[in-house]
Amino acid sequence: MSATLTAEPDLDALGAAASSLAVELGRVTVEVRGGGRRGAAATVGAGVVWHPDGLILTNAHVAHRDVTVVLADGRSWSARLVARDPQRDLAALVVDASGLPAARIGDSGALRVGELVLAVGNPLGLVRALSAGLVHAVGPRAIHADLRLAPGNSGGPLADARGHVVGLNAMIVGGLAVAVPSREARRFVREQLRG
Amino acid sequence: MEALLSLSNDLAGAVERAAPSILAVHARRRLPSTGIHWRPGIVVTADHTVRMTEGITVETADGRSRPAALVGRDPGSDLTVLRVADLDGAPAALGDDAALRVGHMVLALGYGPRASWGVISALGPRWRTWRGGEIDRLVRLDLVLYPGFSGGPLVDAGGRVVGLNTSGLTRESRLALPVTTVARVVDELLRKGHVSRGYLGVGMQPVRLPEPLRVGLGLPGDGGLILVMVEPDGPAARAGLLLGDVLVALDGVPTGDLEDVQARLGGDRVGSTITALVVRAGARVEVAVTVGERPRRGGS
Repeated sequence: MSATLTAEPDLDALGAAASSLAVELGRVTVEVRGGGRRGAAATVGAGVVWHPDGLILTNAHVAHRDVTVVLADGRSWSARLVARDPQRDLAALVVDASGLPAARIGDSGALRVGELVLAVGNPLGLVRALSAGLVHAVGPRAIHADLRLAPGNSGGPLADARGHVVGLNAMIVGGLAVAVPSREARRFVREQLRG
Repeated sequence: MEALLSLSNDLAGAVERAAPSILAVHARRRLPSTGIHWRPGIVVTADHTVRMTEGITVETADGRSRPAALVGRDPGSDLTVLRVADLDGAPAALGDDAALRVGHMVLALGYGPRASWGVISALGPRWRTWRGGEIDRLVRLDLVLYPGFSGGPLVDAGGRVVGLNTSGLTRESRLALPVTTVARVVDELLRKGHVSRGYLGVGMQPVRLPEPLRVGLGLPGDGGLILVMVEPDGPAARAGLLLGDVLVALDGVPTGDLEDVQARLGGDRVGSTITALVVRAGARVEVAVTVGERPRRGGS
């Protein structure tokens, strides 16, 4: 006998697990706002706190020279763009802070089609909104997820059911969410921020 | 956290169990569709995705390409059966569509495999497609059928196939044909190469019957179907039905529109006798008609 879902899933437990993950992911997700020096600016996307010492990863198409990042607790910083790779749609921002809540990074190479995934971002002006879906297909350069995203999700985390970040949401193609795999993001950080 | 993880593992496991029986079907230009390895050497897919009759190939889950021969098609239920020699691997594990309930979590799968997640949004009784196919149960889905997903399996959380997904039968909603229907049509296509439907050999148009006539003759229903074409030597012509007759009932069941007639002309009625009640020259006439078999498009 193969293990199958014979019993009804415990929806309360599922809901509780999903909401605790949403809180955890929200804590490591930043809002990226345009125009750092001109004060109140529109949210252009999201980002992931990659390292407690102020390293934030986002999409290249979100990261411009003057951006402000806002943490879930309300703290905000003007961020410095330290690396940008439009080919992979990745960018690294650094803020002058330490002890930030950093994401737990998962291995995108171990993802299986059908696994649950969660996305957090700032779609359509909502802040740290959660979307749930599943892995549609996995490639070396992109994770396709059957999950509804909107502009503003860009640069935010795509996480597995453990809450480990397996990708950065980058675009919507034919209704599917397309994310940059965490392996690519790790490689980017290694290459760009050596030493 | 555990609950989410175990659900996630169950879903990924369901995809893995179903994946070996999912194929890509190359029977149209550009985008392939999906097929299900239904029984050894037999693949079923959505008929509307099959645009050629020769040179069809299927690609197995391990990436190998094989030629496929057309066994039979039923545009009515949007199903086509293909035969593939030397098809490795086990056919799909079939589930029980009678056990489906609204709200059940299901996956639609495409070749690759690729997955789409959602729930059964509605279930309904037996229905007839716009092309005349009989579907045992309406299964409406709240999920996205991505391009190339038609012909692929709808699987339950255990990875068992409970239906075949198609976007070819309705415009607005996502539907699955229940496995019961797929199994029945596949059997018939393997046996005969086509699905029989009853045939009268008439062209009809709905008409209203004037109240006095209806009451005077004690007719059931308030309308009928006027015969605007009677095929020479067709079943109706041989039984003596005439142009201008108004069909008001078949076997005592009122025929207000074409649906009512089709409903009485299932494949199992071919060769049997049906009683047509018509109004001719202001009088009731009963005619016994031997139901024929609808000729297939393209002949043979």
